[in-house]
Amino acid sequence: MTRFNDLYSEADTFLHRLDPRVKMASVLMLSLLAFIMSSLAYLLVLLTFIFILLLLARSSYRKTAFAMKFVLRFMALIAILWPLFDPSGTPVLIRLGPVVITEPGIWRGLTSAIRVGCLATVWYILIFTTSQRDLVRGLVKLGLRFDFGLALAIALRYFPAFGTVMDSIIDAQRSRGMEFEKGNIFARARKYVAVLGPAIVSALKTADMLALAMQSRAYGARRNRTYLRELRMRLSDYVALATVLAMFVVPAVAKYVLSVPI
Amino acid sequence: MVSGAETEGALDDEIDKPDGAGFVPPAIIARYGVLTALTAAVTFATFIYFAPTKGYFNMGDSMVFFCAFAFGWRAGAICGGVGSAVADVLLGAGFFAPYTLLAKGSEGLVAGVVGRLKGGCKLAKVFGVAAGGTCMVVTYLLCEVYLLNVGWAPALAEAPGNVIQVIVGGTVGTLLAWYVKRVYPASGAL
Amino acid sequence: MNAVVTAQRLPVISLQDVSFSYEGGIEALKRVSLRVAKGEKVAVVGGNGSGKTTLAKHLNGLLKPSSGKVLIGGQDSSRTSVATLARTVGYVFQNPDYQLFCTSVEEEVRFGPHSMGLGRDDESALVERSMKLMGIGHLREQSPISLSLGDRRKVAIASVLATSPEVFVLDEPTTGLDTVESAQLMATLDVLRSEGMTVVLITHEMRLVAQHMDRVIAMSEGSVAFDTEVEEAFSDSDRLRRCKLLAPPITVLAQRLRAQGALSKGAATPLQLVEQVVRVRGERR
Ligand SMILES: Nc1ncnc2c1ncn2[C@@H]1O[C@H](COP(=O)(O)OP(=O)(O)OP(=O)(O)O)[C@@H](O)[C@H]1O
Ligand SMILES: [Mg+2]
Repeated sequence: MTRFNDLYSEADTFLHRLDPRVKMASVLMLSLLAFIMSSLAYLLVLLTFIFILLLLARSSYRKTAFAMKFVLRFMALIAILWPLFDPSGTPVLIRLGPVVITEPGIWRGLTSAIRVGCLATVWYILIFTTSQRDLVRGLVKLGLRFDFGLALAIALRYFPAFGTVMDSIIDAQRSRGMEFEKGNIFARARKYVAVLGPAIVSALKTADMLALAMQSRAYGARRNRTYLRELRMRLSDYVALATVLAMFVVPAVAKYVLSVPI
Repeated sequence: MVSGAETEGALDDEIDKPDGAGFVPPAIIARYGVLTALTAAVTFATFIYFAPTKGYFNMGDSMVFFCAFAFGWRAGAICGGVGSAVADVLLGAGFFAPYTLLAKGSEGLVAGVVGRLKGGCKLAKVFGVAAGGTCMVVTYLLCEVYLLNVGWAPALAEAPGNVIQVIVGGTVGTLLAWYVKRVYPASGAL
Repeated sequence: MNAVVTAQRLPVISLQDVSFSYEGGIEALKRVSLRVAKGEKVAVVGGNGSGKTTLAKHLNGLLKPSSGKVLIGGQDSSRTSVATLARTVGYVFQNPDYQLFCTSVEEEVRFGPHSMGLGRDDESALVERSMKLMGIGHLREQSPISLSLGDRRKVAIASVLATSPEVFVLDEPTTGLDTVESAQLMATLDVLRSEGMTVVLITHEMRLVAQHMDRVIAMSEGSVAFDTEVEEAFSDSDRLRRCKLLAPPITVLAQRLRAQGALSKGAATPLQLVEQVVRVRGERR
């Protein structure tokens, strides 16, 4: 595993200042928007809009490149593989035994690739601009139970650490002569146990230590936990929410009520 | 975790039923959090791009089966489901997270119930892997066809990969449960 | 005699102008060149993040240089698998928990020689010998994970030792050990050294360096700050300070006394200091 860095970076953009609940709702609505649109042109407009938002998040070049690599690879895969699996429509462009490639198949593949591009990129805007603390706090404010929120916070906090732990375990086993590239799938399964086993034991030991730390800080002493900094919706949050809502509702009404093809 | 003797009994009652309104005890919270993180990390670390829809093959299922077999259906469903979904978000496939939550969550839940029958004997584990795996493969298939609208062909193209994932993941998960029980009995793994 | 010395001085490991950057872009090694000869006892020291672990991971091919060349037993590390290089260089990780995964101590120690495909008899002899050297024979049936940190570390060291490497690299093996245990470990390293093994020790404990090692390589911000005999290493306190290091009190005391003309040689241990003082007093009488 390449060392995982927290994708969030501290900055002072309007996206960073937005309430996490508004950002989550926006991700949801922009995703739904990508689902209801079926025209390549409109989807391209949406993708451009999302890319601009991604740039406005002003993440580092490295993190943006990391995200784009994933998204573009996804899109390329779909655009290439879709026509191979979808032989419907005419005109047929290529016929090679069981493989039939048609022009509508290619267009559908492109459309789907761009839709998935929208869906995938919009998440990065949220992840780039919202700290884990705010994400969990937003979820708790939206009704997630506090103790479940705590478990989620622990999970997010330890995720990168366990990536590093697994890297080290793999290195340690390799220095003892274990070769991960060799052997059939079941010989490899045993090697995975040699990596995941120590990782799980170290994780469970971490959990015991954490539980002690939680008890010593009076976890559960009172039911209605308070926060030092409460989330509060401001005018800009309402404006943003209304904008995104309109962006979703207008095309939805156009498509489903007025039957405009979009 | 409880201060003040008079509240102790009341809270104990709530702790006995973690689904109720009370707090889940810190040991459970910490363990679930950490196992969720590990499931996500394993998924993240071992993915290979595969089919047109979801797009990667990974070892995450071994963690789902491990959690289910070692700590029961609750851990299987929560740590397996949420951990895999978190990995999706971090891998940039956030739109897939809800389906993953359903697919892997049900896999962990069913594997946890079936795999621990008769004290978790070998046969129970085999059926647990089969039943849980079926849940996962079918859930993904249905979600892709009916919710993502990708059509049967690409969705079915992914199924064999998922089946291999289940077989390998089930084997490794079973070995892991046995291993942790053996080397770290203090963890209470079954 | 002379021929033996020359033969012993052949480099087992040589680094030529090695630079290395992690994926994130941090340049952790900057044009490092050094040679380790057979039978040497080398300490690698330096502040946190100075590149010691990165350097050590180049010594067995876990990391391949971004530029420059690493030769291990004559083989270019960039073209040889870690599994092959592991026959020449044994590497003990800082955290034993990353290494131990078997269900019994004996199985754990056997794992290395077994996966290297040594013969069955050889294997058992090596396993027994390394368990004896590390004093863990009585733990053979136990699960390594439930042992104390000191014992876990011993098992980890034994399991690498059992692969009978020519060079033994240890990353901070004494952290978390009490004084008795770290003294035992150092004594074991002295035994291995007397049998001709090359030892590379990464450590923050200058007292152990002064007492047990021959040569000191000090890292600072990814470069070799100095690379000298142990005596000389502790003689320049300004240079040490720049590398975030501090000479052990006994060494400093001996140096001060020597500067005053009260001693004729330096000393690394209390015993050596006492011997020096007694000798000088004897001469003066
Ligand atoms: N996997 C990695 N990815 C990116 N940077 C790393 C990685 N490992 C180490 N580094 C960085 O490389 C530099 C050298 O690290 P290294 O671990 O070699 O130091 P060290 O001398 O062993 O320190 P310590 O005494 O703390 O063990 C540090 O700045 C560290 O942050
Ligand atoms: Mg280090």
